[in-house]
Amino acid sequence: MKKINILLTGIISLVFAGCSDFLDRKSESILSDEQVFSDQNMITSVLANYYGRIDWGQSLERGDNFAILDEACISNGGPDNRQDFGNDMWRVYDYTLIRHLNQFLQGIKSDAAAGLEPAYRNQIEGEARFIRAWVYFNMCRCMGGMPIVGDEVFAYSGGMDITTLQHPRSTEAELYDYIISECTAIAGLLPDDPSANTNAARANKWAALTLKARAAVYAASIAKYNYLTPDVKTAGGEVGIQASLAAGYYETAYNACREIITGGRYRLYGDNPDKGANFYEAICKKGSYEVIWARDYHYPGNTTGFTNNAIATSVRGDIDANIFTPTLNIVEAFEYRNNRDGTLPARTADDSDYIYYDNAQDIFRDKDARLYGTVVYPGSDFNGIPMTYQAGQKYWDGGEWKERTSSTGSSDADGDLITADNGPDKSSSQYINNSGFNLRKFVDYNRDASTRGRGSEMWFVRMRYAEVLMIAAEAALELGKPQTEVCGYINQIRDRAGIQQLSSVTLDDIVRERRVEFAFENHRWWDLKRWRIAHQVWDGSSESYSATHYSLFPYRIKDPSHPQNGKWVFDRVKSTWTSAYPRYFQLRNYYNFIDQDWINRNPKIVRNPYQ
Amino acid sequence: MKVKNMKTLIKMHLFVILAVLATSCTKDNYDKPESHFTGKVVYNGQALGVRGSNGAVYLQFWQDGYELKTSFNVYVTQDGSYSAILFDGVYKLVTVSNNGPWVSSQDTVVITVNGNTQKDYEVVPYYTLGNINYSVNGNTLTASFDITGVTTTRNIEYVALMVNKTNFVDFGDGTHVNWVRNMNVTPGHVELQLDITNDLANQKALYARVGLKIDGVGEGVYDAGVYKIK
Repeated sequence: MKKINILLTGIISLVFAGCSDFLDRKSESILSDEQVFSDQNMITSVLANYYGRIDWGQSLERGDNFAILDEACISNGGPDNRQDFGNDMWRVYDYTLIRHLNQFLQGIKSDAAAGLEPAYRNQIEGEARFIRAWVYFNMCRCMGGMPIVGDEVFAYSGGMDITTLQHPRSTEAELYDYIISECTAIAGLLPDDPSANTNAARANKWAALTLKARAAVYAASIAKYNYLTPDVKTAGGEVGIQASLAAGYYETAYNACREIITGGRYRLYGDNPDKGANFYEAICKKGSYEVIWARDYHYPGNTTGFTNNAIATSVRGDIDANIFTPTLNIVEAFEYRNNRDGTLPARTADDSDYIYYDNAQDIFRDKDARLYGTVVYPGSDFNGIPMTYQAGQKYWDGGEWKERTSSTGSSDADGDLITADNGPDKSSSQYINNSGFNLRKFVDYNRDASTRGRGSEMWFVRMRYAEVLMIAAEAALELGKPQTEVCGYINQIRDRAGIQQLSSVTLDDIVRERRVEFAFENHRWWDLKRWRIAHQVWDGSSESYSATHYSLFPYRIKDPSHPQNGKWVFDRVKSTWTSAYPRYFQLRNYYNFIDQDWINRNPKIVRNPYQ
Repeated sequence: MKVKNMKTLIKMHLFVILAVLATSCTKDNYDKPESHFTGKVVYNGQALGVRGSNGAVYLQFWQDGYELKTSFNVYVTQDGSYSAILFDGVYKLVTVSNNGPWVSSQDTVVITVNGNTQKDYEVVPYYTLGNINYSVNGNTLTASFDITGVTTTRNIEYVALMVNKTNFVDFGDGTHVNWVRNMNVTPGHVELQLDITNDLANQKALYARVGLKIDGVGEGVYDAGVYKIK
């Protein structure tokens, strides 16, 4: 026993002796403020980290988010049984990031950063404040007014009164005002020349002004149209903006757009004489001079699986394909060149017979060129490769058309294709197209980019010049400016799309134009919310075309005895096998719910309507 | 204490360890909740019918006395009743604004659950439906009822007569196979007719129900019962 005692004494004395420096060691893995803020490379890395933390909602990080609304459906596997929208869907609540940004702002003003060039310091301050305004903007469009903490870096020390750290929610108008004033202030700090900004990945003066215009037009339309949903507001104004403020916000949006337009640094992309390919390049070609701010990706190391998920079967580089595919609804939202009704003429006017087409692509002839730039449709091409979509063959039997289908990629005894590789079919098999289209926008033509291992370095465009024109048109319209001016903005966009000009514009025209111009660019959900029409468009009724997903099923006629042998016909069908239920946007969906956990931590936070 | 040999020492340790293990087992286990709590959403003692599918209408339960709070929802079924199995204790019961077809009020009902407990939740509806009669004549279903305005600060969006193949019948998509709506209706006597030829032919069972949708409120008020056609 004595031995044990001696041993114990030895161990204890060793432990205590060893302690003396042990707890005071300098960390070798944490950099000090001095090390970070005196070194431009370090500062750039810290900023890059912030830029990488702001992909919320629909982005290239989660392609299937595009299938939640009316732009795409889930093609892969079993049916999508979503019936309504979650109370926390796409909710943004990131005070961690705001605190980090405020620490950064404190750092670049500290003694450690004394050696930085003033111009450089202005730029990085502007960028950090821009990201902070962007975070607030994303929170605001999710939940309305939220606590504004300014430049304060919250710190808790034992025994302090924590209620001083608890800020109440601002009103919705106050938060939009804060975002607008921040953008105004930082526009003067940020660089003016886009050419120095690789792939538009960093915020410059024009990104700040675009955010200003966007925040102002959101606030304006909420103020103007909130009367359509009178219950979507709170007593304290955390949700809902009074109607009298609408004109002021439209004015702010209009002036910010004018500043960008007259600044002359950006214009609509127009290098490719083929209007369809031009539209794809305008958005998907890095270096497009229309793009103001983008989330850039880079291979190796920083890529997404978006192309891998969206790619069509016949051009895929890996096993994955068709995880989500565009709906017929978005395809028909694109007008014809001289007909504003984009409905595909699949059947005769009296619905008595098919319309027979020589080639599958003929039904899309004279469509808005942006359709080609956005969607891969039957008979179009993917990077020069012809794309066939064929659900099956039809033959005339007993006075009606009957159909013959097979597993995808199979041919009949004569060697004629039955069901194409690209489908579409109604099975719930994996990776099989269910809607008759594939996405082109943001899909990389490089086949390696669709493999799982590599991923794609396609960027995601957050802001581009076309949006500035559309906000200018909307604000000018709401302010009662002459129709010639309103049409002037929107017709620039329509000219590039190769469709007829408008001579008078209503809000409904703005709604339609934004839907097709910005399809798959994370605008639709927020637009329908701010105009307060989401509950009418997605009304939860399977009788409603706007709430229900539709597909296009192309068939080739194979019946040598029939005069239409070899022609193409199309069935426009409700996609019940993939999107089982219509989209149902309820009044509670206008604003996300406030999490009870936030209220537990900060009892000054009030709840949202319908909560 | 002087220990005689190593064996005794080990035995003593073992005893202590076992004692700790054995006693700790009972400490951190709760019995499962066993008290049945039931009730109905009522106005003037009359249960209000609501949408019973899709977790549409619910009451929130809260309990004080803990540092952090989380509510849990108790769903109201289509005859206006709700039930939960709870621990004994004091709960607070609230409705969620504009969730059910009644006037939002933040009134809290305090409930003491002690064994099986029954407690109704009083609300003030916007409208009530009364004198509801269904009849089937050939292939036509007719429903008649009286709409009484209780709090008419909100308008009637529509009234509907619906049929479904299960006894869940409401405005939701998939919970009616056929319906007729009247979008232009005022309080008073209402009659709705629905042609159910196809439904009688295609469905093995058929239930009918009427409901009234209120402007600006997510859910409507319904007949508290359903009418079985076949």
